[in-house]
Amino acid sequence: METFLQQMVNGLTLGAVYALIALGYTMVYGIIQLINFAHGEIFAAGGYIGVITLSFLQSRGVLEAHPTLGLVLAFALAMVYCAFLAVALERMAYRPLRDASRLSLLLSALGMSIFFSNGMMLCQGVYDKAYPIQLYSTGQFTVGGAVVSYIQVYIFVGALILMIGLNLFVNRTRLGKAMRATAQDKVMSALLGINANRTITITFVIGSVLAAAAGVMVGLYYGSVRFDMGFIPGIKAFAAAVLGGIGNLTGAVLGGMIIGMVEVFAAGYLASEYKDVFAFIILILVLYFRPTGIMGEQVDDTRV
Amino acid sequence: MKTIHRTLTALLAAALVVAPGLSAAKTLKIGSLSPLTGPYAADGNDIRHGVETAIALWEAKGGVPGYDKIEYYPQDSACDGKQAVSAANKLANLGVIGVVGAYCSSATIPASDVLNEARVPVLTPASTNEKVTERGFKYMFRVCGRDDDQAKVVAKFLSQQLKVKSIALVDDKTTYTAGLAKNIKKFLKGTGIKVVAHEHVNQGDKDFSGVLTKIKATRPDVLYMSLYNPEGNLMAIQARRLGLKAVLMTEDAVYHPNYLKIAKKAAEGTFLTYGQPPSEDIPEVAAFINAYSAKYGQPGSYSAYAYDAANVLLSAVAKVGADDPAKLAEAIRATRMQGASKFIQFDGKGDSGSTYKVMVVRDGKFVPYWDPDTGKLY
Repeated sequence: METFLQQMVNGLTLGAVYALIALGYTMVYGIIQLINFAHGEIFAAGGYIGVITLSFLQSRGVLEAHPTLGLVLAFALAMVYCAFLAVALERMAYRPLRDASRLSLLLSALGMSIFFSNGMMLCQGVYDKAYPIQLYSTGQFTVGGAVVSYIQVYIFVGALILMIGLNLFVNRTRLGKAMRATAQDKVMSALLGINANRTITITFVIGSVLAAAAGVMVGLYYGSVRFDMGFIPGIKAFAAAVLGGIGNLTGAVLGGMIIGMVEVFAAGYLASEYKDVFAFIILILVLYFRPTGIMGEQVDDTRV
Repeated sequence: MKTIHRTLTALLAAALVVAPGLSAAKTLKIGSLSPLTGPYAADGNDIRHGVETAIALWEAKGGVPGYDKIEYYPQDSACDGKQAVSAANKLANLGVIGVVGAYCSSATIPASDVLNEARVPVLTPASTNEKVTERGFKYMFRVCGRDDDQAKVVAKFLSQQLKVKSIALVDDKTTYTAGLAKNIKKFLKGTGIKVVAHEHVNQGDKDFSGVLTKIKATRPDVLYMSLYNPEGNLMAIQARRLGLKAVLMTEDAVYHPNYLKIAKKAAEGTFLTYGQPPSEDIPEVAAFINAYSAKYGQPGSYSAYAYDAANVLLSAVAKVGADDPAKLAEAIRATRMQGASKFIQFDGKGDSGSTYKVMVVRDGKFVPYWDPDTGKLY
């Protein structure tokens, strides 16, 4: 029981991170039907900005005095940086191909992913960069024998707040409405005066801000970042988005949680070397019975 | 006038005959195989820097006799058999006279198949799996230690010094880590130490909470991490975060400044087996550390081994030249040299002996802890 509870905690933490990244995939897919493979690298860039900010603050002696301020600043800078990165990415790699075939767009995304990952390697080096603060030692508590560290709580609550915020934004604001309208029918929404380009850019920005937050969280949680850290979580989050029904926000969160849970439980109760296999088996099974994913919308004529 | 003409003509003719011999800039080409990109790029670049340091020091001394230039071709073997083989083929086609590498045993073994066939000596600075030198290859040498020796030291340390009752092993299924774990299991037999779990993870994994929770339930006295550096760093942090009380023990691949930098407090008290570097009072060791750190910072776990491998190769070339690979291999085998990592002397298989000691992490530093030869603490 104790082990089971512990695995639940592990799975929820991992799932929350996947869910945050998956949201970026699913939003972009929803609006321009593009699988933005460079999204994982934006997540990694967020992690790097976090470590750079914190290391700078530490070298100035500010971090010891104001750790909370340091963390807030790290998150804020990572989010701002990744927002600009997303705008540049969309402008340079995707907008010129807006009317090209979907395959060209996909290849452009793959190319940008490789470009960013290698760019980070060249700028930041091949070595792991250590986060200057280690939150594992900042305390933990036990629930029914399961150890829960504060960092896990922060990650989970932080992810939850961001997801609720996103949900409110998409469903309650004018911009959110514009996003949904553009996703539904680009031509019609343009006729009604919605600036499609601006809406698409905003979608990219929001997805990337979430990924940046996830990047800093992962850096803090695992204690280090590396240039290629975006690849595997990117693939997993993409699988999560597909599992939940690509284009669907709730689906992405659900998919992320399921992938995280399956991975942890497979490692804990089956064979840990095959944990990824089990995650993808679930994906295949779900897609076999529900090709549009768990929460996937009905495939209508306008999409096909 | 005529005689002058004649003399000049004769001189010119002579110059023409001699000139090719003089100006044929003989270039010495050496290569290396190590992961320059991907998760093991840190160690891979340490190896490259080690070789570069050796070459720089030779050039500062005036180069290798008989050659006026050393060309160095570092290749990316990515800890992957397929990529290592194509990189090895490329090196063979380039006509390198020797190769330092590779890093992962799973890359070294297939790459050395190619290079042995091409009669290019390979000196591995990091591949410790026994098989590397157990295939009767004439052109395969190992500057680092062997895993069976390493495993023996681990078993002896656990049973005689720590006197623990149970151990959990984790490896990542690659030739090196799985081989080491298997050897440890073998040598633990008869010591009364029970292997309560033997788990496998994947290279590149970041989250080990699932497998560690499983291990925690078996309550081992020791968690042995048979992993490479990035995974080892992460596992130490996550083990402590989960409240795993077991003693952490790991091997030479985790022995890297990054382990201390990243795992920080979680690294404290970790035992590691490592070919203990000789004292810095030895001039050869000091020369290496000064030259290396001036350019690349603190040496990594394999920097000194790569430096030594390149030095062994270049010294052999200086002695017998590189025109006859068989002679070159013999000269390498006859090496007797104080290196930066140890005193290097090869046996018939191409091994140079193991110098594994048990180190411990104390106050953010690796310090020698236990000597397996004497069975005493330092």
